[in-house]
Amino acid sequence: MSVFTVGLTLRVKRDFKPIAQRFGVAAVLPVALFALFLMLAGVAPIDTFAAMLQSSVGSSYGIGEVLVRAAPFALTALAAVIPARAGLLNVGAEGQLVCGGLGVAAMAFALGDVSPAGIPLLIVAGMAGGAAWAGIAGVLRTKLQLSETISTLLLNYIGYLLVAHVLQGPLKDPASFNWPYSAPLSDALRFATLLGSRVNVGMLLAPLAAGVLAVLLFRTYWGLNLRVTGGNPQAARRAGINVPRTYLTVMLIAGALAGLAGVLQVMGVEGRLRPTSGVGFGYAGFLAAWMVGHHPIWVLLSALLLAAIAVSGDALQITAGLPASSINILTALVLLGVLARGRAQSRG
Amino acid sequence: MLSIVEAVLGGAVRSSTAVLFAALGELIAERAGVVNLGTEGCMLTGALGAFAVTAATGNPYLGALAGGGCGALLAAVHAYVAVVRGANQLATGMAVTILGLGVTSFWGRSFVSTQIQGMEPINLPVLSSMPLLGPILFQHDPLTYLSMLLAPVIWLFLARTRWGLALRATGERQEVVYSVGYSPTMIRFAAVVAGGFLAGLGGAQLAVAYTLNWVENMTQGRGYVAVAMVIFASWNPLMAVAGSYLFGGALSLQLALQAQGVGVSPFLMSAVPYLVTLGVLIVVGRRRRQAMPDELRAVFEGSRG
Repeated sequence: MSVFTVGLTLRVKRDFKPIAQRFGVAAVLPVALFALFLMLAGVAPIDTFAAMLQSSVGSSYGIGEVLVRAAPFALTALAAVIPARAGLLNVGAEGQLVCGGLGVAAMAFALGDVSPAGIPLLIVAGMAGGAAWAGIAGVLRTKLQLSETISTLLLNYIGYLLVAHVLQGPLKDPASFNWPYSAPLSDALRFATLLGSRVNVGMLLAPLAAGVLAVLLFRTYWGLNLRVTGGNPQAARRAGINVPRTYLTVMLIAGALAGLAGVLQVMGVEGRLRPTSGVGFGYAGFLAAWMVGHHPIWVLLSALLLAAIAVSGDALQITAGLPASSINILTALVLLGVLARGRAQSRG
Repeated sequence: MLSIVEAVLGGAVRSSTAVLFAALGELIAERAGVVNLGTEGCMLTGALGAFAVTAATGNPYLGALAGGGCGALLAAVHAYVAVVRGANQLATGMAVTILGLGVTSFWGRSFVSTQIQGMEPINLPVLSSMPLLGPILFQHDPLTYLSMLLAPVIWLFLARTRWGLALRATGERQEVVYSVGYSPTMIRFAAVVAGGFLAGLGGAQLAVAYTLNWVENMTQGRGYVAVAMVIFASWNPLMAVAGSYLFGGALSLQLALQAQGVGVSPFLMSAVPYLVTLGVLIVVGRRRRQAMPDELRAVFEGSRG
């Protein structure tokens, strides 16, 4: 095991310089452009940036919120990384995440009130929900050569509507009046939180998943096969790799990871499933994965950056009176900045 | 009964227009070898641009033009990053869509409860009084007529003109185009921007001729549906009409059924148009792959950098 870790640190060190350069360029231009947008809206950019920084990294509460957001972002990013390494583009973490949340809510409904022994069952149900949703796209790709990019995008919208349906129907909490929420999980079934904040023990699953996947990807025969498939499916086929099975496997793993992000959101943060739970997290993860050239460890960093941007978006709403989703401008500009630096360094 | 059929099919045509414009735009870009998943964002900016200009000037035609312009502008971002800088087309497209989402929620909020005087339907003389076909095809807003005309025009442009040939060749093998003295980069840039203009026009139809309001993220994936329909259409503009009308038909039918009070969840009913889109892709199966422009293969099948 120690050999693995040494190998891993070496690789991380070697990769650091280009990634640092990417972040450097990615920071200056997008921030300047975003300042321009703010000025056009008649908002003072400096004050707004100060408020954004204050709300995200300026207090222990803000830092906690950033971490709470970064954990699911990292998982949805990994849900893009693993398929990308095998040559597939999973843009469906959105739908897979909400189906993961659906799995948790459905399992909690089926179990009723049970002891903490229910926690692993809920986690598995969430991962299975996400994997099932991604599996549809995987089967369509392997059996019909239907582009997984298109199918996962369409499945996102179907996933939102499916969740909206069950939250108005079978899984609706009778005590929630007209709100389309699932019944709250009992405290015994929620991840333990730190000192009254929303930081919870489940968030450790994100770095854990990143570490396990990095080892699998770079230090196992399975990972080698996967990367060979991504590099050249023809060559992989001739080398005796079962390419369709690899495709299906990576999609199932990706779905399980996105489902796990849904688990974190429901069992760690919200305590119940809402139609808005985790919406937008899948796309954020997709961007985070591309920012670091689909590196399973470095996505932890890009997820943190995008989480800080997302949390500071709430400051936009409060101090500048702008809709929180305007922060998407900054997020998108950061990725466009990275992408425009050219494909020479992109390892996706 | 007949009036219900007329209403559903007429509604199908009207609700297809936005997707049809976007699909035709995406088709032009893809025939030049560029996939633009930013189509969704271009539709959104087109919808807001059209709505804002219509609200300011009272003229929905100026609005539609502005909508097209906004779509073209956002598509230019995609063209710069994906074509000029050579970044991955699919990732760039997603980033462009998210940029469009951010920009439209940024500027769109002040328009949320604004009322506008949108485009009025125009009954075409003689044609609109035909039984059955008249109300279905010939009692629509001008943008819907324009979209119907545009499909054969684009077909003719691609199949019968010198520039259409250059565009198609760029999508099949860009070296050839380069060797006869055209710039593949310029052709692709122009194709993507033209495609963005059409997507913007589609968004404009949605905002100033169909729903007559502005809602954040109001296109609800129609841009992605358009990309799917281009694949369904095997990159043929005339088939793109069929694909778009299938989506619009499903949309219109489920709205009519909901209005009739069918006992199925409205959310599941709303998912039907997306399921139909996925379904038609499954039905056409492998056939479409032979029609795929060669330069797109690298994008869709080896989706790496």
